[in-house]
Amino acid sequence: MTRYLLGRVGQAALVLWIAFTASYVLLRLLPGDSILIKFQNPELGLSPQQIAEIRTYYGAGDPPLLDYLNTLLGFLRGSFGYSIDTGTPVVERLGEALPETAKLASAAFVLAVLIAVLIAFAAGYSRTSWIRNALLSVPSVFVSVPAFWLGILLIQVFSFRLKLVPVIGGGPVQQLVLPVLTLAVPISAPIAQVLARSMDQVSTQAFVPVVAAKGASRWWILWRHVARNAVLPTLTVAGLTLGELIAGSVVTETVFGRGGIGRLTEQAVNAQDTPVMLAIVVLAAAVFVLVNLVVDVLFPVLDPRLKAAS
Amino acid sequence: MSSSRLRTTAVASTAMFAVVGLLGACGGGGAAQSATSGGQPVYGGTLTYLEHQPPTCLYLPAAGFYPNGGILNQITDKLTWQNPKTLEIEPWIATKWEVNKDATEYTFHLRDGVTFSDGSPLDASAVAANFDVYGLGDDKLKLPVAEFVNNYERSEVVDPLTVRFHFDQPSPGFLQGTSVIGAGLVSKKTISLPYEQQCQLKNIVGSGPFTLKNQVVDKEVDLVARKDYNWAPPSSKHQGRAYLDEIKIIVTPEDNVRVGALTSGQADFVRYVQAYDEKTVKDAGFQIYAEPTRGVNNGLYLRPRNSILKDLKVRKALQAGTNAKEVVDTLFTGSYPPATSVLSHLAQGYEDLSKDLAYDPAKANRLLDEAGWARGADGTRAKDGVPLQLGVFVSGPQPLSKQTLELVGQQWAKLGVKLEIRPADAGTQAVDIKNAEKTAIQHGMVGRADQDVIKSHFHSKNRDVILSDDTKLDKLLEEESAEPDVAKRNAKVAEIQRYVLDQGYAIPLFEEPQVYGGAPYVQGVAFEAVARPWFYSVWKSQQ
Repeated sequence: MTRYLLGRVGQAALVLWIAFTASYVLLRLLPGDSILIKFQNPELGLSPQQIAEIRTYYGAGDPPLLDYLNTLLGFLRGSFGYSIDTGTPVVERLGEALPETAKLASAAFVLAVLIAVLIAFAAGYSRTSWIRNALLSVPSVFVSVPAFWLGILLIQVFSFRLKLVPVIGGGPVQQLVLPVLTLAVPISAPIAQVLARSMDQVSTQAFVPVVAAKGASRWWILWRHVARNAVLPTLTVAGLTLGELIAGSVVTETVFGRGGIGRLTEQAVNAQDTPVMLAIVVLAAAVFVLVNLVVDVLFPVLDPRLKAAS
Repeated sequence: MSSSRLRTTAVASTAMFAVVGLLGACGGGGAAQSATSGGQPVYGGTLTYLEHQPPTCLYLPAAGFYPNGGILNQITDKLTWQNPKTLEIEPWIATKWEVNKDATEYTFHLRDGVTFSDGSPLDASAVAANFDVYGLGDDKLKLPVAEFVNNYERSEVVDPLTVRFHFDQPSPGFLQGTSVIGAGLVSKKTISLPYEQQCQLKNIVGSGPFTLKNQVVDKEVDLVARKDYNWAPPSSKHQGRAYLDEIKIIVTPEDNVRVGALTSGQADFVRYVQAYDEKTVKDAGFQIYAEPTRGVNNGLYLRPRNSILKDLKVRKALQAGTNAKEVVDTLFTGSYPPATSVLSHLAQGYEDLSKDLAYDPAKANRLLDEAGWARGADGTRAKDGVPLQLGVFVSGPQPLSKQTLELVGQQWAKLGVKLEIRPADAGTQAVDIKNAEKTAIQHGMVGRADQDVIKSHFHSKNRDVILSDDTKLDKLLEEESAEPDVAKRNAKVAEIQRYVLDQGYAIPLFEEPQVYGGAPYVQGVAFEAVARPWFYSVWKSQQ
């Protein structure tokens, strides 16, 4: 197990380095840079000569390789540099944004799993085929709902018309209700789909009629036998939805005017704020690696057969 | 940190319920509010103000960006006050001033007893320190020079309450320059910080009626009234501390969330109401404030260095073939007056040139024929195998820029001209905007209530929107900028407007306003001369 973990950590470091390097190269290839974007803003009214001077201050003319090594070294030391757009340390910006997104994403994830389980169980339990089909088509609808549109719709109906939850101000919980719902709906879809399908597959296996013949109730079979065996592929998919959580938070946070990683990403992209974008990419990669590791470690816990095999 | 955040959200939710409660009966204010009705200002309450974008760098000379200006206008004072109605310069922190005859020496006498919010005095040496940076920049601290100061040489502290500024050439625009948003005064400690530090709101210490209470970067700025504030411009009826206790500035990028939050009672005041939302706001019984920006109009600026546009006839043809009225009628509202010159009709030195701006497609076609651009099979003109195609970027800050350009593109297509509209991708734009071949035309405007605004826009050493190679234009602009006599200066500005139109450098479209929406119970809203809100005298009445 220790060797396995060490190997995984090595892999993780490699993934992070590749993510960092790839995004550095891509950002470098984009036309323009954050300094130019920021100071060429006509609101500042700077002359081309002044802009050129500022560029030299910031070392914008450094050779790419030197700059790459400097940036990489900074990252290894845990210093992500300064956001060129706002002039604040990147660490500070991440520190402010991360807890907000963590709250939003984790609540949305929990809700998404609840919705998914509800749909899959209801479909698995139902004997009427049209109800079953209707329930199974819900995820397809959910997955095709754009988060942007859903967010606006929820705001219009629940906040502006019915005045149930405020979008502006509001307590910490109130502030979360609609964004969490917005983010959870599209995330729940793939989880529900995979869970329902693998429950379907498990149901056709030979042990199910045996358990039924022993007198187990439908509910008991579904809960104790089918679901337990169907959970592994679902877990993999749930791990993969992390990417959608991050992507979804960009839209959700913008629509709801929430601070967070998504919003920070959007602004950093607009301003081509390289230090911030690099830090976000590395952070997202790190979270991905971590979640995948957790999923892999959980597998043998959930399925003793896998423990024996390894 | 977390406990103060909790407290803030608690305050926020209380304020929230108060605002919602206002729909029925007034809440929040208590006895003070219930005792009065409508007319008499009341103290207390929180104004929830929704911004369209987060503030960026808050170094004062960068305050022109509206989200920055909306904050800095509340926390800083200026040496002088430009009356937004008359555009006269009136006393504020400077009680009086003298200017020598050729406008190379300005002496300001300061009000006694003014302090910054950190307790340090706003005296001659603080003012001198501010303007030394705004006028000269600071290489070591990476602070750029401010646009509103020209020909600055040095400052001189005469006595603790008298400061003199010297210029190496006449600088008649300087007096107005001391009143603009970017000339806000900050403490000596703030002005001596490096650029990155001055960019951050928490480091900006001003003497204004509000101070920073709490900031959540990119999301919210909470300002609180300074109880000992007692140096409003003498011409303000309201003196002493601000009426409001607090202002919560919340960044809400979604247009319809801002408008919906306003009309559903979750916010009191919002910036950037789109033209198509104005009716919704008005129909709900709320108020639209369309504030003029008094500068160079929203328009298309043609670059003479472009290989197609170097021909005056082509530029004049595009000018004649653009129907600005159709743009305003189709996309905008009465808040957007059609342009009658290069400058807004409320700008200093404006001259009505609407006759020269008449829509005349026949003339446009004739000029293009004369210039040798013949129509091809698909209707697009070409000359020597080169199609008559011009590039322009969608301008992020301009309202409905994409739609405006698309409509103009349709008008030009009838003339056989192809307008290639590129999306506002910041990086590509930053690189290509300085390339007249790729970006033949720039869509933009600039606001400032001084004759110098036209110089800012066109001079090859300022914004240089047309990438000017016209030495005559530069010379005219410099003459305007250095002319101490107001009448002569205005005459010069008029001459420049005629010249810019004659040369086909500009296709003015409309006078771009800043459009705000406010709840009916929000009283006393004021704006500086270029439409940044000033909440000092704002109060909330009962409904």
